[in-house]
Amino acid sequence: MGKGKRLATRALSFCLPLVLLFGFLIFPFYWIFITSIKPESELYGGTVTYWPKNPTFDAYRALFVDYNFVKPMTNSFIVAASATLLTLFVATLAAYAFSRFRFKGRRPLMIMFLTNNMFPTVLLLIPLYAIMRRLGILYTPLALILSYTTFTIPFSVWLLNGYLSDLPMSLEEAALVDGANRPQAFVRIILPVLVPCLVATGVYIFMNAWNEYTFAVMFTNEKSRTIPVSLRNLIGQLGVQWDLLTAGGIITIIPVCMMFFFAQKRLVEGLTAGAVKG
Amino acid sequence: MKIVKKFLALILMFALCMTIASGCRKKDDESSYDTATGEPIEITHWYWADTQQYSAKMQDIVKEFNQTNGKNIKVTAEEYPWDGGGYSETLFTAAMGGGGPDTASWKLTSTPLFVANNLLAVLDSYINGWKDKDDIDENLYQVMRDAGGSDNIYVMPWNTQVLYVYYRPSMFKDAGVSVPKTYQEFLEACRKLTRDTNGDGKVDVYGFGMRGAKGGQEPWGSFIYARGGDFSDFTTDKAVAGMQDFINLFKNGYVPPTAPTDGFNEIIANFKSGKTAMTIHHIGSSVGMVETLGDDVDAFPFPSGESQWTSMGDTENVIFEACDNKDAAFEWVAYLATGKGQEEWCKATGNVPVSKRVQAMPEFQNNKFMKVSIEGAPSAGIFPILDTTTEWINTIWPNTVAAALAGQKTAAAAMQDLQRGLYGG
Repeated sequence: MGKGKRLATRALSFCLPLVLLFGFLIFPFYWIFITSIKPESELYGGTVTYWPKNPTFDAYRALFVDYNFVKPMTNSFIVAASATLLTLFVATLAAYAFSRFRFKGRRPLMIMFLTNNMFPTVLLLIPLYAIMRRLGILYTPLALILSYTTFTIPFSVWLLNGYLSDLPMSLEEAALVDGANRPQAFVRIILPVLVPCLVATGVYIFMNAWNEYTFAVMFTNEKSRTIPVSLRNLIGQLGVQWDLLTAGGIITIIPVCMMFFFAQKRLVEGLTAGAVKG
Repeated sequence: MKIVKKFLALILMFALCMTIASGCRKKDDESSYDTATGEPIEITHWYWADTQQYSAKMQDIVKEFNQTNGKNIKVTAEEYPWDGGGYSETLFTAAMGGGGPDTASWKLTSTPLFVANNLLAVLDSYINGWKDKDDIDENLYQVMRDAGGSDNIYVMPWNTQVLYVYYRPSMFKDAGVSVPKTYQEFLEACRKLTRDTNGDGKVDVYGFGMRGAKGGQEPWGSFIYARGGDFSDFTTDKAVAGMQDFINLFKNGYVPPTAPTDGFNEIIANFKSGKTAMTIHHIGSSVGMVETLGDDVDAFPFPSGESQWTSMGDTENVIFEACDNKDAAFEWVAYLATGKGQEEWCKATGNVPVSKRVQAMPEFQNNKFMKVSIEGAPSAGIFPILDTTTEWINTIWPNTVAAALAGQKTAAAAMQDLQRGLYGG
């Protein structure tokens, strides 16, 4: 078989499907972007255009100037970052305890954590709403942070517990022999090894909080609105403001993309950790 | 053991912080004030808006009300997403959770659920003692009563969208047809307007743009009433006769052959392109019609036969039972129903006002589509709101009518299926 033929076969069997798949994945994002820069006449015109004749960034201007999109973005960031930090803090300690100590009720507690995630979120909506109201934190970011952690902590505990259980005890034992106490061994030895898994878990929690709508619409008001609710406000009963909606969509995915960009290596490490046993 | 103690200490610290944080916050029910002390009576109002302009208009209306009400009432309007009707669910969850607003924008279809859970305030005593009561047509109050399924009014009218017939004056002139005044004349017009205009032996203009897909039950209802039928029993001879007229329009070729699957987009596109000479929709599509057709588009109310009915799209306001200041809340919803709020909102959205005073204003009377909407308002109504209504509208009506138009079911059999689908049995 000639080299040229081999290259052609490779292009047809590997590169072409890859390009097609890439196009399939990227097209929705491309369409969202060009919709956001189309002028109104093209947006609602009868002819479909794959690149606007007169691109305009009016929708982005309107989004930030008239619609004050910075506010929901800030709120979303506060909620997502706080939920991530709080969950990671609680879940790491809990997972450490579950993996390193054998105490009474350990197994039932772990199962209880898991069952929490089996309840449909809608079922907990009214009770949680009433609780937040009683606590006086309804319509504040704290209400959202607490409700998100209710669901993310159990999952994170299980995820981190799996990873921690795979770490050999001898790591800490060596530190303890060298004179470190348990917290020191945890902070100096376990935590650095745990970083990839914490990144993976953190990304999951952040994205969960960043995109969540059901709780956000209930527990926030005009002052504390997050991005998903603000964007949903653009879909009316009789019409959709496509230009603003797509511009908002593009702005919304930028922080998530950036996060993935920086965390990609650690994320893959974290997700595959414990998948292969030696 | 040391670790456990520290962990417990951390949890306790967190609990302490939470308690302090919640203690520092003002409780929800402290938000209303005593008027005797001169502090404002606060009313929280939830609404949805179709565009940013509508949202800004609502905030303007609120601002003006707060400045001019003279009773120290301060309304705070908060926008919530329409979310394909999920707005009502959000409202329900909030109200059931003991929170929620004092007043809210409303859709009649949600009324039975909220009434069954005692969440809405009865408005009869307020409306009976209200100076503007007669400024709203009695028919509308009856629609509000019907929606609640009782003799009480729980819902305050705000604005409507009334269905009427769009027509092409140039086509009427070419076919020698005048604007129908009666139901029979309307059926006759459908026949006369169906023509082969370019002489190729094929029909290229159809008299009527029929909507056979979802949503088509609204114009269809006008045919049932025109023959003397009604929605309480679809199986009466009169109702079946209305259905037969509807089938005949298709069978005789007076509507496009795609009618069984034509929805909103298709009937509007067919009308704009000149494929149909008449179609039924509300004022919401008038701007697009004028943009495309200029002066060659006009409208008339669906003509009366033995009876007259047209479908009404609705938006109202409600006061919640949990509201502490219902008098003040009524001032606000009354302002939206007949006051300056009514004028401003209807001018901005193009919806039909419910206040007769506002309807008579030149801005509304000089708009031919608004004028026809107002003419049709007294005969406007809604479909019965039952647990089965959503499925009936979304699935049962389109499927049954498609089968009837295809000749697979007689008019009588189709009406029996529709009766069973809506009322069971």
